[in-house]
Amino acid sequence: MGEIGHGGKEIVERILEPRTAAEKIKGLKQIPVREQMAVEVIDIAYGFFSPLQGFMGKADVESVCKKMRLKDGTVWSIPIVFDLSDKEIADYGIKAGDSVLLTYEGNPCAIFEIEEIYDYNKQELAKDVYGTNDEKHPGVKRTYQYKDKFLGGKITMVGKPIINEPFTPFFLSPLEMRKKIKEKGWVRTVAHQTRNVPHTGHEWLMKGSWLSAYGELPVEKMMVGVVVNAIIGEKRPGDYIDEAIVLCHDVLRKAGYFREDVHLTSISLWDMRYAGPREAVFHAALRANLGISHHMFGRDHAGVGSYYDPYDAHRIFDQFSEKDLNIKPVRVLEWWYCPVCAEVTYMGLCAHTDKRQNFSGTLIRSIIQDGVKPPRLIFRPEVFDLIQECAEKYGRGDAFVTPEYLKHRNPVFTFPKL
Amino acid sequence: MAETFPINVWINEERFAKLQAAGLADMCQEMLAGLKVLRVPTTAEQRDEILKKFPMAKFDSATTKSIELLPRAVKDKIFDLVVAKKSVDVIGEFLKSV
Repeated sequence: MGEIGHGGKEIVERILEPRTAAEKIKGLKQIPVREQMAVEVIDIAYGFFSPLQGFMGKADVESVCKKMRLKDGTVWSIPIVFDLSDKEIADYGIKAGDSVLLTYEGNPCAIFEIEEIYDYNKQELAKDVYGTNDEKHPGVKRTYQYKDKFLGGKITMVGKPIINEPFTPFFLSPLEMRKKIKEKGWVRTVAHQTRNVPHTGHEWLMKGSWLSAYGELPVEKMMVGVVVNAIIGEKRPGDYIDEAIVLCHDVLRKAGYFREDVHLTSISLWDMRYAGPREAVFHAALRANLGISHHMFGRDHAGVGSYYDPYDAHRIFDQFSEKDLNIKPVRVLEWWYCPVCAEVTYMGLCAHTDKRQNFSGTLIRSIIQDGVKPPRLIFRPEVFDLIQECAEKYGRGDAFVTPEYLKHRNPVFTFPKL
Repeated sequence: MAETFPINVWINEERFAKLQAAGLADMCQEMLAGLKVLRVPTTAEQRDEILKKFPMAKFDSATTKSIELLPRAVKDKIFDLVVAKKSVDVIGEFLKSV
């Protein structure tokens, strides 16, 4: 028996050897895809989205929207769909039953066995998944931008993508991650979802969750690891650049804030939908596929604006059984700086509520933007120094995403020619 | 008194030296484990005007109720006005100048 992923199904990589791929793609119609689709092809093929074997058909999309489950009953919260316009479908002359070759940036990416071409009410989808039809919500906006039709069917990648530096060592497929966890001797792992350069509030979220997950296990040898899993995907101006996020998390271990034997930095490719509680469930499935046993969920996980209550992403897990999700949610409150305690402390412990000084990602970004080095109790000096290095090396002098960065950045991944 | 929304001007050594030279070091407050900050108040109307003029800036409505992520050059200008006027009530004049 192989590795069992989310939904109790075996993780199967859908990737062809280059020689076989070269034969199989001969004569197939080619359809270029945008970055989101290429990312999702990679996720499907490696098993990050297991048990999905391809883009969803209508019955799965309906079931996901209405019941938060695939049609076979597996918990799933966000539709994974492939869209084309009516004109593209006509121009390519494609129909259900065809196999086509998806290409990205001019190179072969995957074979798509089209099983179904269908309509879907985007307003209904947005309301079901995001709880709103407000176009200011980035997930809703993305939904409305989908083209006329969705296409469902299996995906088989025609070779492995090249993950470019500095991300190369941090990209571990579900099977590779599971192997790594075994090598480390970890019997439990706790995932830290991130899109941020870490301040000590984040550091304590990780440390607190590690303590929660550790529980009753023996302590002669560390048996639990924190797996930082940075989401690398579409960026918005003002976000930290991806290179800084990943390398600054990794420097926390290199600088000794985490021991070598309890910490691992990794990435997953995904365009955040900011679906709040539903995205939390999606993150749980993704990390279950990586073989991670616990997942930390903090305040306003994957939220945006004020569309969700800060703890909706905790409560949503009440409806699932252990059988539904092979990963345990670790629900955490806020960590803040308390001038009375003179330390970073936990909302569930510290009673000096009126004296608290909240960490805010925006506030920390503002401090860095002002060129001010925060106290080490708030922001580790090694992280601060590395941000400046990353800004010079990858960000054209800026640690935050700018139009220039988006135009000139080295791509995270490329597909090789066959 | 109407509610105000601060712009946090974070104080590095260079800015602190200027404040000290002007006898204004006491204007600073401490946040986040001793980090010095000059909190320059804006009215709701001024806040909205600033956010319109500087679209990269953000009003942190969830946590701090402050205007953040103004470009450093803009903060420098506000800081220089505070030092020149020896007062944090400078946003009206600042907005006239941009």
